[in-house]
Amino acid sequence: MDLSGRFGARSGNGVPFREVTGLESLHLGGGDEFRQMVLPENGGGFTALLELPPTRAVELLHSSSSSSSQATLHSVGTLTFPSNPILMERAARFSVIATEQNPNGNISGETTTSSVPSNEHIKTEPAETETSDQAAVEKQNNRCGKRKDFDKKVKSSTKKKSKSSEENEKLPYVHVRARRGQATDSHSLAERARREKINARMKLLQELVPGCDKIHPKRDRFWWKDEDQSVLWGPSNCKLSLEESFDLQIQGTALVLDEIINHVQSLQRQVEMLSMRLASVNPRIDFNLDTILASENGSLMDGSFNGTTMQLAWPHQVMETEQSYHHRQLQQPPPQQWPFDGLNQPVWGREENQDHGNDHNSLMVGSASLHPNQVKMEL
Amino acid sequence: MASADKPINTDVPEKDVFALHFLQSLSNLRRQNTFNSPEKTNDRVKKIKKAAYVSMARAAGGTNRLWSRALLRRAAKENNKVVRLPRRKKRVTCLRRRRSNRRDPVEEEEAERLRNLVPGGGGMETSKLMEETAHYIKCLSMQVKVMQCLVDGLAPK
Repeated sequence: MDLSGRFGARSGNGVPFREVTGLESLHLGGGDEFRQMVLPENGGGFTALLELPPTRAVELLHSSSSSSSQATLHSVGTLTFPSNPILMERAARFSVIATEQNPNGNISGETTTSSVPSNEHIKTEPAETETSDQAAVEKQNNRCGKRKDFDKKVKSSTKKKSKSSEENEKLPYVHVRARRGQATDSHSLAERARREKINARMKLLQELVPGCDKIHPKRDRFWWKDEDQSVLWGPSNCKLSLEESFDLQIQGTALVLDEIINHVQSLQRQVEMLSMRLASVNPRIDFNLDTILASENGSLMDGSFNGTTMQLAWPHQVMETEQSYHHRQLQQPPPQQWPFDGLNQPVWGREENQDHGNDHNSLMVGSASLHPNQVKMEL
Repeated sequence: MASADKPINTDVPEKDVFALHFLQSLSNLRRQNTFNSPEKTNDRVKKIKKAAYVSMARAAGGTNRLWSRALLRRAAKENNKVVRLPRRKKRVTCLRRRRSNRRDPVEEEEAERLRNLVPGGGGMETSKLMEETAHYIKCLSMQVKVMQCLVDGLAPK
């Protein structure tokens, strides 16, 4: 942008020009007060000009240059004729005009005109003002320097404030949490629900596990026997602290779990033992199994039952089993083939073939009850 | 003689199912040539045990139960078979064992022990574990009864 560049150049030129005018005026005036008076003002105008946008600054410079030239003249006049009232009036007017024209008040003419009526007591004033201005400038500079610090301070303070506000918010946040406390509460509710679920399952397990019914974790919590005094402490005369009762409850559940574990272990051990026994008895089992499985197609042949052998083989067993149908079956079927088999015991293929008939019966009776029959038959 | 354990087929239909499955698996075992050799009793014991468990799993849960699934899968692994069990509708999320301080350590310890006992219990939540344990116990007791019946019947006098 050419224009802006020009403006910039102009403004750049303008500032020293104006300073020069100021210097001229100083030289013309030759007064220390003037220097004192002008300098700060100039500085103020300078800074003000710098702060202005370039176009505005140029305008101001033009006006200020003209006014300053006038002002220098006036100042010279004033200096030479300090007691001229007309000039003073004009100067005052001009100053007013100047101030009116330049509301920024950055024109040296103004200062000069204002300084024109100044007598001794006024001379002191600008000094004061100067000092005050300088102080102000220093303050400003300091401010500029300190601004960062100040900003930092402000920031820190704001941080602190924010922190404190956070803390303040935190408290409500905690409160919100507490309101979420509903959340935590729901959490605890969920936990409670979970506990209840587990407890229900526990009850189910307790019913399943034989020795477990007597433990009653919940009841342990409220009733328990004092070993020394053999006194039952109930909820009415509750001698238990909460922790104790809690411990008791835990103990109760732990005991229940322990029982359950023991039960499962025992069952598994039983399975193992039984499988061992089955393995030892194995071949007959197999035979029986096949017969049983085949039983579905097998026709009911009561004749296949060898009543004699069976009776021979296991009368006591039958008695012991206490199952009427066993008795019936054993007594009922008198087949002829069986004695052979009983004699030539473990010929599996044969037995399978022969047992087809039996299987149906056995199935009718019940799978488990079947096997003893067949075993006995074999025996 | 556990006479009281002997099943009445109509009353407990599940027991029948157990017995049938077990017998089936046993007959399958018997068809294997190695099984019949009388020397390897240990192998036989193992096989019968496995057959018992697998048949129990098949009879009881099939693939609907976690423990039965675990059992079947384990069995399949042992057989080096790749068996794809049908996926359950409700997907089972395998929870790593949660250890939170809130829960009582004793109970948690017990639950841990239980997890080791119940097949497939490692990834179960405690309540689920309880449920599965209950079912497992029921099935195990059934199986034990069935086996007891078999053994009692077959035991040489």
